[in-house]
Amino acid sequence: MPAKYPQSRSAVMPALDLAQEEIGHLTPEAMTEVAHALQLDPGYVEGVATFYSLFHLEPVGKHRFYVCTNLSCMLRGANEIVDHVRQGIGVDGAGQVSSDGLFSYEEVECLGACEYAPMMRLDHEYHYDLTAAKIDSLISERRSPATKPTPRPHPPAAPATSPASGEVKPPTPRPHPPAAPATSPASGEVKLKRAPGKKRKVDD
Amino acid sequence: MTELRGSSGDASHHVLTRWFGTPDLHRLETYASKAGGYTALRKAMLDMAPADITNEVKTSGLRGRGGAGFATGIKWSFINRDAPGPKYVVVNADESEPGTAKDRYILENSPHMVVEGILIAAYAVGANQAWVYIRGEYDRPYQMLTEAIEEARAKGYIGPKPFGKDYPLDIRLYRGHGAYICGEETALLESLEGKRAQPRSRPPFPAVKGAWGRPTLLNNVETLATVPAILNMGGAEYAKLGTAKSPGTRLLTVSGNVRKPGVYEVELGKTFRHVIMELAGGPPEGRKVKVFWPGGSSAPVLPESMLDTTTDMEALAAARSMGGSGGVIVMDDTHCVVKAAHRLLKFYAYESCGKCTPCRVGGDWAVRTYERILAGQGSQVELDILQRVSDGLQNGRCLCGLGDSAGWVIDGTLRHFREEYEDHALRHECNVGKVAAHA
Repeated sequence: MPAKYPQSRSAVMPALDLAQEEIGHLTPEAMTEVAHALQLDPGYVEGVATFYSLFHLEPVGKHRFYVCTNLSCMLRGANEIVDHVRQGIGVDGAGQVSSDGLFSYEEVECLGACEYAPMMRLDHEYHYDLTAAKIDSLISERRSPATKPTPRPHPPAAPATSPASGEVKPPTPRPHPPAAPATSPASGEVKLKRAPGKKRKVDD
Repeated sequence: MTELRGSSGDASHHVLTRWFGTPDLHRLETYASKAGGYTALRKAMLDMAPADITNEVKTSGLRGRGGAGFATGIKWSFINRDAPGPKYVVVNADESEPGTAKDRYILENSPHMVVEGILIAAYAVGANQAWVYIRGEYDRPYQMLTEAIEEARAKGYIGPKPFGKDYPLDIRLYRGHGAYICGEETALLESLEGKRAQPRSRPPFPAVKGAWGRPTLLNNVETLATVPAILNMGGAEYAKLGTAKSPGTRLLTVSGNVRKPGVYEVELGKTFRHVIMELAGGPPEGRKVKVFWPGGSSAPVLPESMLDTTTDMEALAAARSMGGSGGVIVMDDTHCVVKAAHRLLKFYAYESCGKCTPCRVGGDWAVRTYERILAGQGSQVELDILQRVSDGLQNGRCLCGLGDSAGWVIDGTLRHFREEYEDHALRHECNVGKVAAHA
């Protein structure tokens, strides 16, 4: 991966992204591994990971609701949508994981689909014109065991072709890695509670 | 397929969206056969000298559609095409200005238009490699752009010899991971280099020392998507659209309290009354427009009485606002300006990268002040603090515009809605109900 970039440091975010896709969130071990692979300081890598809001340093649900609450969505009922998501998945606040490990939610800034407000991103898919009923059905679809996780529509890392040679290979769709198990692999128990509001907060 | 909300189809002023809505427009074959796709690139590479391409863009008068509105052709001419070593084109697809969805609209409808624009720009400024920095949340646009690039590669438009010419061209994608600041060009470059996205001090400007220390042209998605049309119709013809100083058309994302929110292609110089009341259908039944943000949340607000302001950058500057990213957020009379400003300040405080003190400290300070006011604990002291914080955030005290933008939210809303602020801070009441009652 580093060879794709003029400087290997640029691979830090794609590498963290890959790690997060596999584990579900970025553990200190994962960040250290990325650091070693790219010959960077582990502290530097953590510094990058903490800067960007799409990197999770705490466990998250198997399905993540990212509900836009910025102005365009707020004017069309985003706060009610957030309340409904919170109640629907049974948590007290943003960042908390539901007791079955299936869900967590975050209130996020503008997601750039304002003509469909109120809207949100659920895992890797946008959902538009949200209503309480839509939220309910999205939650119950994911609670039923038959439901598969939303496939990530693209490979997070390398393009299918080798840019240096210009050689064209057929695009190879990367199979979506299974989402992180709801239970902690070590103990087999659900242990995914955390205090809400661990991320940067404006009123800290 | 999601319902298209906004401009599409043939209309005399549709430069960008004329073919939107055509089935399979995102496929190269359709883009080429129905929309004349890649004729501009062919013409640029086979029939035009690079300097002529840049001159054509200069003639068109096209100005950057990302927010600052800098003249695109002039920006291209800053890159020394003959300088040895690699040069880059970096495309800003990190659309995250609140109320702005137009780059997503372009990428989802016509990704090849963007690819073609990028390749023309790269050839014009002497770059062989382009990078598209796309926001991490844009999964679908990422996928569509990836497929478009693969199709263009298969055709040879991207590769060692596009159109048989010995001029290798390549485009690669880089995904952002959630940081508004990456919309700022030097923060974007830092992020592309694998760092925390904190703006650089300038000079040196990216044209001299940009990505990985090399000369770099940075353009917005919409800006580059307009380039093929300019080469096809001719710069002079494009310049006939719009106003003398803000030529052409641009995509305005109209959102909030309107009946038909959407991404509308508008000839610059049309009024916001036309955009909000006609194209977007005006506010819901029985409500009135109270205020609108004409160019994303960073553009100072304008009250309903200024709906006849025109969309060109000069008129907006005269109205003490700006064209910004073209995100038109409309708020009706059932909503409170102070609460809206509080929400936006939370955004700017959260998204501050922390590098410059006024922005890092000022945003949080303003949020806390708003919280006291909205909790009914306000007084003249809080109003004075807001004014002081607003002044402290503005006028180039920070390396980038994020701090200024936060200041403009306070300043603009205070300027036009001081009474509403005083109701909250001094009389501890919200007058939104009263306005509705008078209506």
